[in-house]
Amino acid sequence: MREAEHAGRNPGAIPIRTGIGLRTPHCREIVESRPDIGWVEVHSENYFCEGGQPHRFLELVRADCPLSLHGVGLGPGSAEPLDLDHLRKLGRLIDRYQPGLVSEHLCWSAAGGRHLNDLLPLPYTEEALAHVCDRIEETQRFLGRQILIENVSSYLQFRHSTIPEWEFLAEVSHRSACALLLDVNNIYVNSVNHGFDPRAYLASVPAAAVQEIHLAGFDATGACIIDTHGTRVADEVWALYREAIARLGPRPTLIEWDTDIPALEVLLAEASKAAQVLEEAHAVAA
Amino acid sequence: MPSLPELQAAFARAVIERDEGPLLVDWIVSGRGLDAQARLGVYRNNVLSNYRKAMRAAYPVVFALVGEAFFNHACDTYASRYPSRSGDLNDFGGEFGYFLAGWPPAAQLAYLSDVARLEWAVERVFHAVDAAALDLHALALVPQEELPNLRFELHPASRIVCSPYPILRIWQVNQPGFAGSQAMELHAGGDTLLVIRRGATVELERLSAGELSLLQALATDCPLARAHAQALEAEPGVDLTALLQHHVLSGTLVAFRNGRQ
Repeated sequence: MREAEHAGRNPGAIPIRTGIGLRTPHCREIVESRPDIGWVEVHSENYFCEGGQPHRFLELVRADCPLSLHGVGLGPGSAEPLDLDHLRKLGRLIDRYQPGLVSEHLCWSAAGGRHLNDLLPLPYTEEALAHVCDRIEETQRFLGRQILIENVSSYLQFRHSTIPEWEFLAEVSHRSACALLLDVNNIYVNSVNHGFDPRAYLASVPAAAVQEIHLAGFDATGACIIDTHGTRVADEVWALYREAIARLGPRPTLIEWDTDIPALEVLLAEASKAAQVLEEAHAVAA
Repeated sequence: MPSLPELQAAFARAVIERDEGPLLVDWIVSGRGLDAQARLGVYRNNVLSNYRKAMRAAYPVVFALVGEAFFNHACDTYASRYPSRSGDLNDFGGEFGYFLAGWPPAAQLAYLSDVARLEWAVERVFHAVDAAALDLHALALVPQEELPNLRFELHPASRIVCSPYPILRIWQVNQPGFAGSQAMELHAGGDTLLVIRRGATVELERLSAGELSLLQALATDCPLARAHAQALEAEPGVDLTALLQHHVLSGTLVAFRNGRQ
């Protein structure tokens, strides 16, 4: 039934190309001008509603283009039961759009039933590791598929953390058999905010688990770097991205731009910069 | 060393209630130019600004009416009294109208809470589930004597909002690009509005007293004859045929069934 419904639709697999985050101000232009984009990603929660114009546009885009669903609200590290209603909505969205990838964040977001609706940092302890792995496994069982987990930007560290972030991330992937969405910008942001070598982080990433890469711009005007997704990707992050691709091999790469959203052509220009890095890597591999 | 639930509960209190407690700052690494309090402050700013952004998107007319400083103060207070209960930020803010009605700083703006309720209705209607159009052919085939027994279904992307203030006019003059006169007579009489999505667009339509009774009766599954009687009571002489035709053709009513079946 499900296959019949979706027959004739663009196959779902995310190609090893660059994609862009699909944001409301660009929807109409993308549907009308059909730029050459490898794939698009949307925030899952923005489509938890059941109808109306957002779904019309997404249906049109999805007809031509593979789609990745990126959740910002599940917070698998929250020390409370998984929100099954949230997961049911995500499951319905997966059924409807047949995304190539489904991702969530390595963070927590709610306590005592109150949602902070932000990507909050975990203490990197054995307790948190066991907890978040349980939740990721439960999520994968519920959805009947593997999900990707993304490393987040953070602005503080807890004193009782005993595991370096990169080891924690690798262990999450290993224990819960999830894939990884490696945000290279977040590695850079954290390396500056907390003072570690981003190359040491990259070196311990389990390459085979990485199925997607994120790039975005940050704001470095304050005392710590804030991951705003509101500007172009920084030069230091492009350099780190080249190193990541050299180490991991070419991976589907997404440009995220969520605040001060620019003209579509600016976003596409960022995507083509990443595409060039991928092409060079493909050429080396061939 | 706190357990994970202890740590997260303290963190949430610090961010939402500005209550850092005695321990939380001791659990956070200071240094690299920022102490623990400042680092928590980054999260407090992020969380509040996410709430504000979500509210500003849902309540553009309230924002236009009161300005940024007042709006942000209202949002922050709202967020502490009506915490977000969903991982989907689009669900946040549904009680804002009720909150404003009882919030002393907004007491001078008696219409504000009704405008907020209207905006939330618009927001929900914009995203509500789609519905197929009513089967006009099947309706035409219903024998005349069966019509009083029909029960109708309202479009799932529709809501009714009532106010003693002219909220339609307030809403209209505060839309982006509105170029007409801003003049407003706040005590010129209230509005009863049908908020409905037709195609991709949310439309606001004034309802007469009889029309309101008719739609409310149909929405609670009354058969047409009883809905008609209630409409007549609210508005003597109401023209049922004209109302029914309008709401069938304009898509307010999306399905029907014969109530005796």
